[in-house]
Amino acid sequence: MNSAFPFPAITGQDDAKKALLCALTSDEIRTVLIMGDRGTAKSTLARSIGMLANGKRVMTVPQNITYDRLVGSTDIETAVSSGKICLTPGLMEQGNRQILYADDINLMEEGVVRDLLSTAETGRFSLEREGMSCSIETRFLLVATMDPQEGELTPGQMDRFDLSVRLNPIAEEEMRAEIVKRNLQFERSPEEFSRKYWPATGDLKKKLEGARDRLPYVSIPKGHANLISSLCLELGIAGQRGDLAVARTAKALAALDGRDEVVFDDIRLASLLALEHRRREIPDTPPPPRPPQDRKDTDKDQNRESESPDPENSPDRSPPQQQDPDDRPQQNPPSPPPPAAEQVFDIGSTFEVIRYLDEKSKKETRKQKSGRRTRVMSADLSGHYRSFRLPDKNRNDIAVDATLRAAAPYQRMREHNGLAISVKKPDLREKVREKKIANTLLFLVDASGSMGVRRRMVAVKGAILSLLIDAYQKRDRVGLMIFRGTGAHLLLPPTRSPDLAARMLRTIPTGGMTPLTTGISEAHELLTRGRYAGAGENKSVVILTDGRVNVPVKDGSPPAELADLARNLAGCGIRFVVVDTESGFPRLGRARVLAGNLEATYFRLEDLGSRGLAAAVENTTYIQG
Amino acid sequence: MTSDNPVYPFSAIVGQEGMKDALLANIVFPSIGGVLIRGEKGTAKSTTVRALADLLPERDVMKGCIFRCSPSDTRNLCESCRSRLSGNGQPETEPTRMRVVELPLCATEDRVAGTLDIEHAITKGQKKFEPGVLASANGNILYVDEVNLLDDHIVDLLLDAAAMGVNFVEREGISYSHPARFLLVGTMNPEEGDLRPQLLDRFGLVVDVEGEKDPARRSEVVKRRLEFEKDPVAFCKKSEPEQQSVRDRIIRAKKAITGIEADNLLIDTAIKISLMLGVDGHRADLTLVKSALAFAALDGVQEVRREHVMKAAGLSLPHRMRRRPFEESRADLGSVKTLIAECYGSP
Repeated sequence: MNSAFPFPAITGQDDAKKALLCALTSDEIRTVLIMGDRGTAKSTLARSIGMLANGKRVMTVPQNITYDRLVGSTDIETAVSSGKICLTPGLMEQGNRQILYADDINLMEEGVVRDLLSTAETGRFSLEREGMSCSIETRFLLVATMDPQEGELTPGQMDRFDLSVRLNPIAEEEMRAEIVKRNLQFERSPEEFSRKYWPATGDLKKKLEGARDRLPYVSIPKGHANLISSLCLELGIAGQRGDLAVARTAKALAALDGRDEVVFDDIRLASLLALEHRRREIPDTPPPPRPPQDRKDTDKDQNRESESPDPENSPDRSPPQQQDPDDRPQQNPPSPPPPAAEQVFDIGSTFEVIRYLDEKSKKETRKQKSGRRTRVMSADLSGHYRSFRLPDKNRNDIAVDATLRAAAPYQRMREHNGLAISVKKPDLREKVREKKIANTLLFLVDASGSMGVRRRMVAVKGAILSLLIDAYQKRDRVGLMIFRGTGAHLLLPPTRSPDLAARMLRTIPTGGMTPLTTGISEAHELLTRGRYAGAGENKSVVILTDGRVNVPVKDGSPPAELADLARNLAGCGIRFVVVDTESGFPRLGRARVLAGNLEATYFRLEDLGSRGLAAAVENTTYIQG
Repeated sequence: MTSDNPVYPFSAIVGQEGMKDALLANIVFPSIGGVLIRGEKGTAKSTTVRALADLLPERDVMKGCIFRCSPSDTRNLCESCRSRLSGNGQPETEPTRMRVVELPLCATEDRVAGTLDIEHAITKGQKKFEPGVLASANGNILYVDEVNLLDDHIVDLLLDAAAMGVNFVEREGISYSHPARFLLVGTMNPEEGDLRPQLLDRFGLVVDVEGEKDPARRSEVVKRRLEFEKDPVAFCKKSEPEQQSVRDRIIRAKKAITGIEADNLLIDTAIKISLMLGVDGHRADLTLVKSALAFAALDGVQEVRREHVMKAAGLSLPHRMRRRPFEESRADLGSVKTLIAECYGSP
């Protein structure tokens, strides 16, 4: 398709253009990631480079590519006619010396992403399927785009990208106007518009050719080489990929500029392009300032990931309420009497949550390394066709392509009845389909009066919102239930719209007694009876509580009833996660006991964000000009 | 089409001007990028979309091409049309009417994207591409009822195709690509969950529809509906003059749109609005400008006026006013209207 918008006509985004030009200059730069919000010309930019790369084509890797097309598979036509197994090359092989373009790579199947990245890096992949076994060499430039709001790549995957750029919407009015004008012109008559940019495109091509010729002679002065390594060390970049990428990019930049020697500015820009995504940073959420505060009891599992001195203040931005009683009185009510009146609290600040659902699922952890989203094998005909297998029972979801490939080599020996291919039972393969929506999450939130104390609800709401953002990225189905006063209230039945849940969150009223037992039993009821019984393959209840209960269900003692119910529900097929919201001193640890009885995963509210905070601490250093 | 299975005529739909405007603007200027219609059940969402079928204009396409490639749009041809056009001079064309192609919720991935033609493979031993819904949608309207309930991986497919205007198929042994430029029209009931922001942003315009509040008009809705059900053919015949006038209006507007320039005032206004709202990306600017142009064309005037911008803003901004999935919107349409009034002067 030659319908691409001309590269030189793209307004602004200089860093991204530089990164792509570097990749076209140096064959050692093999992977470029373009990140940005919706509508920031990510794809336009990626697709426009075809016209600059002499003789290279931009080949699209579609979102739903099947494995056989990625790595190659048996060629049916030759197999049928000659009985020989012969390879039809997949995209990765066809892409040799070309450019592969993967849009929204963060939404692609993990195996595809892994293969693309490792093949791009090593220049080879091995093929072991359908009676073929070989190693195939191929060199391509992978250009990928992603919108981080839709989900992230793992740090490991990020590290495999040589360069990354982040596109930001342009704010200057004049430039924006220019963008609109050029777009309208291009749409009205693409041919004429492109012609206008021929000279500029030609110049760029010449510049690229010159740079490619010059590149082998570009050197990095010794001092600058040391600068690169110390920069990487200082930023805490693991592995050597970062160092190499900076060096290669700096050389390419120098070559593009017509120089034989790398200068400091090259390194500065190169590190921006090559290191930004290797720092474990969470974009757009600058860590809150850390007021000195260091009091917490020492749970043994608390420090495993975070060396942070203080994981407590991330979810809650207003420090006074958690501090020792002596500096509290100005703002907050004294702790004992829970206010009788209903209160509605703001939502505290959000953070990136750790993978709290992975923790307990031993069987699944291997598959879910990325944590981007949970995928389950789908039992019906919906879902993405991922691979094939020998059918186990009478299923009718036949993987026709795989079946035909299996049958093809035998055709010369079979009777045909006028057909070109005769298929026998042993040839049959069925599709393994995979679905992306998997989890149904019900948030069960303590909204009793005690949550109003020290405005604890602010932090809790912040935590829930963080969990909701996480749920959105993983496409979970979420519901919201609160308990207070005399019973539980379902504010939002499980829906695929975490956004709706976030809106409900704002209006959660707080006040009254704490019927925790009722809350848990109603949540269980909701997910096991009626219309949600079959919803989703994984069902989880996330209980945000301090473990306090003071409303009996029948006439027993509330804590005893709670313990009984919890032990009954343990192992019922629903996963429970207890998030302990207890704060202050002394800690009673009731939520931990509850978690024990439920066989639930247990977290303290503060620990949910520990990864984000740890990362934030790591990232206090910044590249200096 | 009208005779055997008549659809309720577009021009006989009572009220719902926003929805009608949005749909017509897209037909006139398809690159506006489609319409999302949000509203409760029974607000004539589907009726209106299906009614479009009877109004859609004809265009010339390459004869015999299953993707209905347009010979004038040389950059977006399928493989066979490209070789046909490069071969001998004047290609044979035939007039085709734009259609409404429905994408059912239960559609499987292979039916949407297209897949290996099984019959051909078994009888001939050769691989051949069997086109799917995206192929039928090329040059047409792709209609997804309850688009918010569509499976995620189908959504990804649609987004891919919509973004590039091409359906790249690399699956089940098949490697194929064909043009897939369609006008995406979706309806949804917001109570059943929101759309992914990524998909939401792809829709050029969004209309929120409500049931008719005025008792007199409500009863008019019922009256007409009953009349239609009693004798659809007669009802359609009665509405034919109005239908024809809508058709003419569309054709005139399609001609006129190429002559209307987006002046600096329009572009600057659009950008001021985007900056005030802090919307993501540049799609908002473009959609606002394009739909304002379309409304001017539909009104048969040569320049964009204040009311066209107002209308365009009301349809192109509501779904873009929030930056992130969980943020509240920061400004409201009221302030947008004030801004437009400042730029264009009060009426």
